[in-house]
Amino acid sequence: MATVMAATAAERAVLEEEFRWLLHDEVHAVLKQLQDILKEASLRFTLPGSGTEGPAKQENFILGSCGTDQVKGVLTLQGDALSQADVNLKMPRNNQLLHFTFREDKQWKLQQIQDARNHVSQAIYLLISRDESYQFKTGAEVLKLMDAVMLQLTRARNRLTTPATLTLPEIAASGLTRMFAPALPSDLLVNVYINLNKLCLTVYQLHALQPNSTKNFRPAGGAVLHSPGAMFEWGSQRLEVSHVHKVECVIPWLNDALVYFTVSLQLCQQLKDKISVFSSYWSYRPF
Amino acid sequence: MRTSLQAVALWGQKAPPHSITAIMITDDQRMIVTGSQEGQLCLWNLSHELKISAKELLFGHSASVTCLARARDFSKQPYIVSAAENGEMCVWNVTNGQCVEKATLPYRHTAICYYHCSFRMTGEGWLLCCGEYQDVLIIDAKTLAVVHSFRSSQFPDWINCMCIVHSMRIQDSLLVVSVAGELKVWDLSSSINSIQEKQDVYEKESKFLESLNCQTIRFCTYTERLLLVVFSKCWKVYDYCDFSLLLTEVSRNGQFFAGGEVIAAHRILIWTEDGHSYIYQLLNSGLSKSIYPADGRVLKETIYPHLLCSTSVQENKNRPFVMGYMNERKEPFYKVLFSGEVSGRITLWHIPDVPVSKFDGSPREIPVTATWTLQDNFDKHDTVSQSIIDYFSGLKDGAGTAVVTSSEYIPSLDKLICGCEDGTIIITQALNAAKARLLEGGSLVKDSSPHKVLKGHHQSVTSLLYPHGLSSKLDQSWMLSGDLDSCVILWDIFTEEILHKFFLEAGPVTSLLMSPEKFKLRGAQIICCVCSDHSVALLHLEGRSCLLRARKHLFPVKMIKWHPVENFLIVGCADDSVYIWEIETGTLERHETGERARIILNCCDDSQLVKSVFPIASETLKHKSIEQRSSSPYQLGPLPCPGLQVESSCKVIDAKFCPRPFNVLPVKTKWSNVGFHILLFDLENLVELLLPTPLSDVDSSSSFYGGEVLRRAKSTVEKKTLTLRKSKTACGPLSAEALAKPITESPAQGDNTIKFSAENDGIKRQKKMKISKKMQPKPSRKVDASLTIDTAKLFLSCLLPWGVDDLDYLCIKHLNILKLQGPISLGFASNEDNFSLMLPGWDLCNTEMIKDYSGVNLFSRKVLDLSDKYTATLPNQVGIPRGLENNCDSLQESDTIVYLLSRLFLVNKLVNMPLELACRVGSSFRMECVHNKVRSAGNDILNMSSFYSCLRNGKNESHVPEADLSLLKLISCWRDQSVQVTEAIQAVLWAEVQQHMKSLGKIPVNSQPVSMAENGNCEMKQMLPKLEWTEELELQCIRNTLPLQTPVSPVKHDSNLNSANIQDMEDMPDRCVLEESESPGEPRHHSWIAKVCPCKVS
Repeated sequence: MATVMAATAAERAVLEEEFRWLLHDEVHAVLKQLQDILKEASLRFTLPGSGTEGPAKQENFILGSCGTDQVKGVLTLQGDALSQADVNLKMPRNNQLLHFTFREDKQWKLQQIQDARNHVSQAIYLLISRDESYQFKTGAEVLKLMDAVMLQLTRARNRLTTPATLTLPEIAASGLTRMFAPALPSDLLVNVYINLNKLCLTVYQLHALQPNSTKNFRPAGGAVLHSPGAMFEWGSQRLEVSHVHKVECVIPWLNDALVYFTVSLQLCQQLKDKISVFSSYWSYRPF
Repeated sequence: MRTSLQAVALWGQKAPPHSITAIMITDDQRMIVTGSQEGQLCLWNLSHELKISAKELLFGHSASVTCLARARDFSKQPYIVSAAENGEMCVWNVTNGQCVEKATLPYRHTAICYYHCSFRMTGEGWLLCCGEYQDVLIIDAKTLAVVHSFRSSQFPDWINCMCIVHSMRIQDSLLVVSVAGELKVWDLSSSINSIQEKQDVYEKESKFLESLNCQTIRFCTYTERLLLVVFSKCWKVYDYCDFSLLLTEVSRNGQFFAGGEVIAAHRILIWTEDGHSYIYQLLNSGLSKSIYPADGRVLKETIYPHLLCSTSVQENKNRPFVMGYMNERKEPFYKVLFSGEVSGRITLWHIPDVPVSKFDGSPREIPVTATWTLQDNFDKHDTVSQSIIDYFSGLKDGAGTAVVTSSEYIPSLDKLICGCEDGTIIITQALNAAKARLLEGGSLVKDSSPHKVLKGHHQSVTSLLYPHGLSSKLDQSWMLSGDLDSCVILWDIFTEEILHKFFLEAGPVTSLLMSPEKFKLRGAQIICCVCSDHSVALLHLEGRSCLLRARKHLFPVKMIKWHPVENFLIVGCADDSVYIWEIETGTLERHETGERARIILNCCDDSQLVKSVFPIASETLKHKSIEQRSSSPYQLGPLPCPGLQVESSCKVIDAKFCPRPFNVLPVKTKWSNVGFHILLFDLENLVELLLPTPLSDVDSSSSFYGGEVLRRAKSTVEKKTLTLRKSKTACGPLSAEALAKPITESPAQGDNTIKFSAENDGIKRQKKMKISKKMQPKPSRKVDASLTIDTAKLFLSCLLPWGVDDLDYLCIKHLNILKLQGPISLGFASNEDNFSLMLPGWDLCNTEMIKDYSGVNLFSRKVLDLSDKYTATLPNQVGIPRGLENNCDSLQESDTIVYLLSRLFLVNKLVNMPLELACRVGSSFRMECVHNKVRSAGNDILNMSSFYSCLRNGKNESHVPEADLSLLKLISCWRDQSVQVTEAIQAVLWAEVQQHMKSLGKIPVNSQPVSMAENGNCEMKQMLPKLEWTEELELQCIRNTLPLQTPVSPVKHDSNLNSANIQDMEDMPDRCVLEESESPGEPRHHSWIAKVCPCKVS
């Protein structure tokens, strides 16, 4: 036991020196790197106020699916909002072509993008408040900071990767259906969401269930994408989804942002692991 | 947690970490409330002299606390609300630390404002919340349900901060600033109706403020004109009338502003994230009066700030600070600036009413008025803050105590295993350790209690596992320990030898888990070690081999699942990815992320292939933390791992183990290796064990007869031999005789068929059986009787107020219980998830108590008053000691203990009882038959009434029920007055003990004749149980033929007394056994037992 202690005495000194270096230099280097990455990510979201002022630029996305061409959509994204939409729908029965656009005065906020953007800016804020002038005293302090940053980043990523699961009445009640001119016919529902790096548009065609129908009425629960046959009650009517059309388009900058999130999450974890090596110095203060 | 569970915390020398993230002072300026990153709330007492002392730690949140706010009009109800990172919200009563209401919503709040408009609103008011979601949510302050929201028509975004403008002149309105820097105004008072009718309310005005990261917005109530908005890099003053900018002050030398407040007309206080604060005077030049500005630009030039005073902290190292300011104009309140740090330090500054600069115009520094940390409390009251094994570890190496880094309690052996920082493992008898730690003069206990020291690790022990506790199929002697050096040792805890050492070479072992019983490989369950380099190793204990090392994980392992059919190990990581390992070959089968990973993990749940899931949280080195409910999905992201696992582990205990009278719960904290222990006393179970009638006896007769009786006979014999063996040294020959007795008596079971005519009592018996059937019969396990009585004594020691009167000596002498070393830290559960623990030094928080009282462990001043009231209502029976009067002192002693415990249990039940039930009791307690009707409604009543009858039996005399009735009324009345359970329990205990001891003092111990009579009585009555038994037998037949529902006729009143007596006889034998184990009495006493016991056997 005595020899063990003696051997560790020299070892301890080296470890302490190393830990000091870690807290002094390495942590700040990593934080700087993280900041750079996240700033790059937030630029993708075109944060208002940071850097370029004025209205965010508009991007057009043509949404389609590889299978059929029954639904075509052109959506215009301005920052986190859909400023214009142009939806063409070919009715399967009579080949009638329906055309809808957004009302001029309205915008549709994509909550997922806004939330992801806000989470990123919160993470950046956490990082910039600990710049080079700030001295970390304990490993636990770094861990707590990293935990907080990682929480924000995970939330940002999850907002993009997990679209809200909505029930059909929720979709029907959402403001999106009231955005269009001419107004959507009552047998159509529209939903727009982000899934990973893709902007998705779903159009549900509905038909009313006869009140005396023998069909077993079972309202569908929440889902990202409802399948044909899903039923729900809206107003006094019972409705069933007859056709579902889903079109999507990759948003390149969302892809970038997701990559940045993953990279920065790994950086955070690596820093935490480095700190954890010195876990026996939890309460150790080099100063 | 069960309501009958009483908890006592044994803190260590180090305070648990409390990284303050939110802080507030209650409106009465008597208390500071802080919320921490670890998830706990702390209540700090604030004296009139502005001295701080920590009082209580509140557990309930499993994630970092984000904000605190008032939840009621504080003068009426002292409630606050807390919100956590994961959407949990709790409303707490800060005077007693109870959680009043809780909810988990899918919203993360960063600020909450309480709003109540008494003349327009029904209910308790609203909590206006903002956070990581669009706009402002309105949450009902009472139910915590979302009422509605304030919507914005333009640029809806997250809201950073808000304030309520409330003045006589202007309509109430809500001011908020969004993340993007948009100021929005909603009408409050005029939109109450529309909100209640669920109509959308949009903002009245909005303005872009051109700065980001808004921290605070404040309305100047003095001038009712100015608006202070603090951003992280600047602060601005606006005119409230037209929102024109009057002043912008940019931060210097890289400081970040964190908040601010208007402290007087034209005087503002701004604080920064690193703990500095500045008081400015806003000066107007004469211009603004002469030329009233038409546009804001002119006025802007007329205001400029002048720095009057500043405050700073000496060690402004730990960022960020959370600060607040309390502005009270009423005397004797102070203007207080307060701050909380990540390190857990609270600092107060008393801001003078009129802050002025120095004569030369330079800013004056305001000194710190008070500062305090949790650790200061622990240092100051160090007798209270010793850990459970300090004594033993001190004994080992003479100086210095080892820091416990991990611990495990084995309920079946009552052993506590503690792994220390220096690599030793100490195994002690938990009850003895607790006694040595808590009681005065415990040195006797200390010397007698054996403890083992296992030496094998060279580094601090990070995790422990007792496999037998999880699966009874594994060897009882095995124990596993893992250390910082990645070494896992398999021990034999009985022989103290090392069976095997596994060297994993994978960093500190963060947790040891075992595969579920369903999952077996090579004929045995396997052990899973999670290491801090994110690797997982599987160990086969029988084979002493390492089966698999899974080392590809990039993120900490969050969840382990087992696939028994295909021998897969499914590892869920913190980044939501999943790794599937084939155990036999050790290859990585699959790696999935995102949606598919989620499906895989959920799939395992649905298909029920995995029986038990061990989600583990092993972020960095955060020790073992098996948490059963962390798998609950949360919309916004993964749950951060909870700081302290008290609540959940409590649940685990409830779920996993049968109730035991005594339990130790080791608790670990997040981000540090500080841990502490909680002792849990199950009052109900304790009473049941000590007083096993009539519940178990009657019950057993209603179950299948033959086997049951045989079993019971056996167990009685067993018990007897056990207890007699113990007393052999004292009275050799007699015990042998007693031993022989039951054997000779056992054939007597045969002639049980003697018929007694019991028509009169028939229906009554049946009624009794009904009671017993609903009683939730607990299988009578063999529990060491002396252990039970020791537990009871320790429990009473913990509850008694010591040094209040000269009764200490009497208690020690007659009850044979020891005095406490210091006040205990009582734990208190308000519901199954929420828990409060007193901190060392809590007793000094009640200032009025210190003055006239020198004792320890008095819960509050109120206790003595309550106790007096209780004594006043007590039936006047001085001179007749409660309990069976026996010649043996120890008998009487344990009897008194049993009596006291059952009283406490009754009080506990009564105070905890839901109100509607209580009403019924109040009106109809005496009517036994009424109770029978109520019985189906609530088990509480049932238990209570039966205990009530037990108590009466315990007194062994026909006393007036009205006396007890008044007591019950009194106690019920306490509940209505919101007396805390602990207070009520202590008050009753104190009163009963006083009464008892006084009676003892008055009557000299000349109990010989009395006991003679008693014995005679017993012998006479010994026929009765037999009689009763046959009645029951008959009843069984009746029950078989008759429908279960027996009409309850009023005739029963008359037979009540009778039944009580019989019950009494029934419960005697068991108690005797227990008593006997305590200490051997006189020969006569033994023969008495020998006579009674057969009665029971039959």
